[in-house]
Amino acid sequence: MMDPVTLAVVRGALEQITDEMDMHLIKAAISPIISETNDCAHGLYNAENGETIVQGRIGLPLFLASMQWTVKHVIAAAQAEGGFHDGDLWILNDPYLSGTHLNDIVLVRPIFVDGALFALFANTGHWMDMGGSSPGGWAPAATEIHQEGIIIPPLKLYDRGRYNPSLIQLITANSRLPKQIEGDLAAMVNVFAIGQRGLDALIAKYGLVTMRACISEMLDRSEAEMRSYISEIPDGSYRMEDWFDNDGVDDRPLKVALSIVVEGSELHFDFTGTAPPARGPMNISDGTTISMCLVALKHVFPDFPVNGGTFRPIRFTIPVPSLLAAAYPVPVGGTTDVTQRVVDVVFGALAQAIPDLVPAAPFGTTGVATVAGYHPKTGNFYVAVYPYPGGYGASSVSDGLVNGTPPSSMAKFMSVEMSEHRYPLRFDYLAIRDFSGGNGAHRGGCGTAYAITALSDCVVSILGDRVDYTPFGVQGGGAAAGNEVRLVVDGKEQVPPFRSKADRIAMKAGDKMKLASPGGGGFGAPQLRDLADVEDDLNNGLISEETARLVYQAVVIETQKRGDRVYYRLDRAVMLPEPQIAVPFLAQGARQT
Amino acid sequence: MKHLSAIVGIDVGGTFTDLYFSRDGLNVDRVLKVPSTPDDPSRGLIDALDAAEIESSELGLILHGTTIATNAVIERKGARCALITTRGFRDVLELGRRDRQRVYGLTGAHNPLIARSQRWEVDERLDHEGNVLQPLDICEVRALATMLAGLDLEAIVVSLLHSYANPAHEQQVAAILREVQPDWEIVISSDVVREYYEFERTSTAVVQGYLQPLIARYADNLSAKLEQRGFGGQTLVMQSNGGLIPLSQLPQRAANIVRSGPAAGVMAAATLAKEAGFDKVITGDMGGTSFDVAVVVDGHPRVAETTELDFRVPLRLPMIDVHTIGAGGGSIAWLDRGGMLQVGPRSAGAAPGPVCFGLGGTAPTVTDANAVLSRINAEQPIGLRNITRLDIAAARTALGALGAQIGLGVEETAVAILTIVNQHMAGRTRLLSVEQGHDPREFALVAFGGAGPLHGAAIMREVGIKTMLLPPYPGVLCALGCAIADLKYDVSRTVEQQVTDLVPGLVADILRSQRLAVETSLTESAIAVDQTIISHTAEMSYADQIHALRVPVELEWPPSRMAEAFQQVYYQEYGNTLGDIPVTIVSLKTSLRGLRPHGQRPVARDVSATPAMPTASRSVYFDGWCDTHIYNRAQLVPGNTLTGPAIIEQVDTTAVIEPGMAARVDIYGNILIEMAA
Repeated sequence: MMDPVTLAVVRGALEQITDEMDMHLIKAAISPIISETNDCAHGLYNAENGETIVQGRIGLPLFLASMQWTVKHVIAAAQAEGGFHDGDLWILNDPYLSGTHLNDIVLVRPIFVDGALFALFANTGHWMDMGGSSPGGWAPAATEIHQEGIIIPPLKLYDRGRYNPSLIQLITANSRLPKQIEGDLAAMVNVFAIGQRGLDALIAKYGLVTMRACISEMLDRSEAEMRSYISEIPDGSYRMEDWFDNDGVDDRPLKVALSIVVEGSELHFDFTGTAPPARGPMNISDGTTISMCLVALKHVFPDFPVNGGTFRPIRFTIPVPSLLAAAYPVPVGGTTDVTQRVVDVVFGALAQAIPDLVPAAPFGTTGVATVAGYHPKTGNFYVAVYPYPGGYGASSVSDGLVNGTPPSSMAKFMSVEMSEHRYPLRFDYLAIRDFSGGNGAHRGGCGTAYAITALSDCVVSILGDRVDYTPFGVQGGGAAAGNEVRLVVDGKEQVPPFRSKADRIAMKAGDKMKLASPGGGGFGAPQLRDLADVEDDLNNGLISEETARLVYQAVVIETQKRGDRVYYRLDRAVMLPEPQIAVPFLAQGARQT
Repeated sequence: MKHLSAIVGIDVGGTFTDLYFSRDGLNVDRVLKVPSTPDDPSRGLIDALDAAEIESSELGLILHGTTIATNAVIERKGARCALITTRGFRDVLELGRRDRQRVYGLTGAHNPLIARSQRWEVDERLDHEGNVLQPLDICEVRALATMLAGLDLEAIVVSLLHSYANPAHEQQVAAILREVQPDWEIVISSDVVREYYEFERTSTAVVQGYLQPLIARYADNLSAKLEQRGFGGQTLVMQSNGGLIPLSQLPQRAANIVRSGPAAGVMAAATLAKEAGFDKVITGDMGGTSFDVAVVVDGHPRVAETTELDFRVPLRLPMIDVHTIGAGGGSIAWLDRGGMLQVGPRSAGAAPGPVCFGLGGTAPTVTDANAVLSRINAEQPIGLRNITRLDIAAARTALGALGAQIGLGVEETAVAILTIVNQHMAGRTRLLSVEQGHDPREFALVAFGGAGPLHGAAIMREVGIKTMLLPPYPGVLCALGCAIADLKYDVSRTVEQQVTDLVPGLVADILRSQRLAVETSLTESAIAVDQTIISHTAEMSYADQIHALRVPVELEWPPSRMAEAFQQVYYQEYGNTLGDIPVTIVSLKTSLRGLRPHGQRPVARDVSATPAMPTASRSVYFDGWCDTHIYNRAQLVPGNTLTGPAIIEQVDTTAVIEPGMAARVDIYGNILIEMAA
């Protein structure tokens, strides 16, 4: 067995190296998506099987496990060309291999020590534009990948230290922002030097033999740690189904089916029964599906380390092709929404097994609204992007949060005042969406409502979901309100054809979009909710009086008018029923047609 | 040199109240630590004065920092407030900007300082340039004020959209409120911070309103108690920007004193390091529960524009940027599910505390590791009442039980705990300096706080720092920081216009009015200062960049000159410029420092190196048990040298000099530690 102090120190030092790589890129990147929302990842990987040795903790959760699957594909590509050589640097963005979407560029750098291959460094970063039909790579009505941009298969950007400038010329010639992506490429390449320096120092201090032994034991111990978590989940098969409203091209619901099978310390995620690939962009690659399962699991067990050892006791069955295992040429631009539903079904299945640890469904749609046009004052082209905030599901410990960021991200929403400085768009309101959280002993967080009025000609696109199938509650908690999108054009209010998906709607001054994001599901039977909390909810306008009476079984014993508001004092209507034991029941949002 | 009367610096922390007393304002006469009194913090301050046996009659100046504001927010024990906003935006305070508490884990809700039922809206709307799109409905405001007067409220906060660009509507609302109920504390957002970002500005104004009644009561209490004690001098309070204000101005600036203790510590560390000749400094303040790190270049601590006081409670006020890491003497060692040793972030805190305190703690902590290795003196525990010696046997038992699970002996376990916690602190310190664009190896480390000097040597070694400075009283440095700080006032205003679009004279007008504002604050403070330093900075960026750079500017500069200055700063920071992209002035800031009279301590310029005399020796564990010299800090004089391994003991802390390190006392009484040549 490794000496425990050396082991702990080497692990800490490796984590430090990848954290510093994250931080250096966030500092140096040109892409605001990298520098402001940390849309990047850095890690060290096993050179034979691609297993994650360590990954930075500052990058986006989305990449938690997808990097390992990407690296495996690059290893295969390298082997087909005679293996890795010192000085090689591989580049790719092929989403069927590297997960996510075309904007996420992955670089892989083999590390040689004393002439022998030691490990692989890899990183990923979001580049602002990779060509395609729509600036920024976002094409809600795309029906094939080519409309989304240029595909880079695994290729050598550096071959034994020799740079291939033609490759980059080809890529930049296909981008609307060639200078930016050149800058981001340089920054991403430079970060490997930082990582290499740290790794060299560590190897010099401990020697290769000790380093290899530490890495091997680190992964074994992480595996043991993960197994101990899984062992706490009762054995069984837990099934969950949920739906996408549609893919933006065909108006048919798309099923996501998951069975989580727990046997001792092993976990099997089986997506058999999931819908075939969508025609529209609501597809993700299998690597992304796997990554999001682990993100969901880490939201339930936040303390497990992220490395290949952790992933070992977990198996995946994802039907190929399906909307969770996209294959050429299906479009993948809806990644940001599809990933949310993977989290939802993992929560829904695990909630049956470990009810105290799993929250109800969060809002479940990233609902990106994009407004583009020419600023009347400057004449410059602008693109304003507003991704949804929404409610989180309630849990055994608390009500759900309002205005949460998606579970796969940590990105924030723009300040209203900042937005009005930048864009010819005016916010009418930005508010908690009344009555939108799922009811329960713990109430789901409410969604967010906002309306934006155009001050000049512009084009609006929206890609969201969760109108028809709303976020579910657990353990007897109720479903949350679904998504609502309204466009007011020429004074007429309308629901877009796909309800929460709209492709390039032309607007004029005075037209507006009104968005209301879903809340989170409730936890536990509503009649068990503390009466004081029900009273607060009612007086805070988060639930209606009717809900207080009918769902929470309260009676109004006193009212008082303050301004235009009424304040209530409540009592319980009836003797409470005995708390029901074990209600592993999911209140699926009913389809509201 | 002016005659200086006796001064006392007092830092009222969560656990301890630290005191620093100087009879002539130059030399230290007393330092001490007493337990804090959270129920009435002004009492703890008086207790400290009593314990130090300081006569009020001899005292000219009391300078103090306090955690009262921070605690009131964290514990939600502030005033009963209502919030008035633009129609459609009352929920901005609760919504925040789309985030969550932790990267992983979706549980836990958020409790806004003002509940939705007490947030009200009025009809009015400005655009981003301050133009009135919809006039304020005066009748509606009056009706609202009358209704609110019937509720039991202490403070009303008004935060209207784009009020930074035109505060007229907020001022009109405030006037009506004052008319209807003169007893209310009224806070308008444009008075607290005249900058855009509605959530951050609203939150800052709400924190101010939430704290103002409480802080006003505290100021009254303290004044009364000091008067009763016969104190006739001045009382100054530390702000989180590292500057002082008089007690009389405290209520209006209640939000500005949040986290003032850590800010005082950084100011003191920066001042002492600069005096000793170090212009690039990392300060590390390690106490019972946390390790606070800050970066100081050329005597100027980095200033954060926005600080998260609690989840979704940002303060958009200039505050010294102190980064907190969950590692302290009380951090608990444990084995994770994979059987790997971990330290923290859970802490045994003050109660039950480390095992060796004998107060009921059973989980082994960092302090227990230091005690078992005999790095701290079991016979002279610091800062503890009712304990005369540490329970080493109990600490050994706890460490032994932990170590047995991973095949380590007691001492090996203790070393492992220190190794891990030191690596963690060193790693986060490196990361912070990388984030701020520095190479930490070019910096000196100032280690302070009760536990800082115990761990500073290891952090220095891990980070690759060449020199560590131990100030004369590291354990009460925050109290010293209060004593040596100056007055400071900051104001700012959002401009958010491209340089080429600026109305001629606008920038100078704003800076002139800001200068007037800070000068008025200084005059109203009635505190005598030797010198007033006014500085202006512009936050500037290329059009549409989110991150702005701070550029020192002069009042009379034309905008084109400011754009040039921006390009220079941008080049220094990033090594290139972005050519023809237009330059935006995001905001203008004016800062006033009122330098209080500071005497120069007489120091001997040339002292010869003489080996220090150890006062004792004992067996201390490094790579094994080894006989180690123990020095008494009180007996060390400038010029003294010593080599590690060594332990330096003093009333407020214990310092470890590792084997292979050499230390000398500089002419100011600091101990400088370096890796031996």
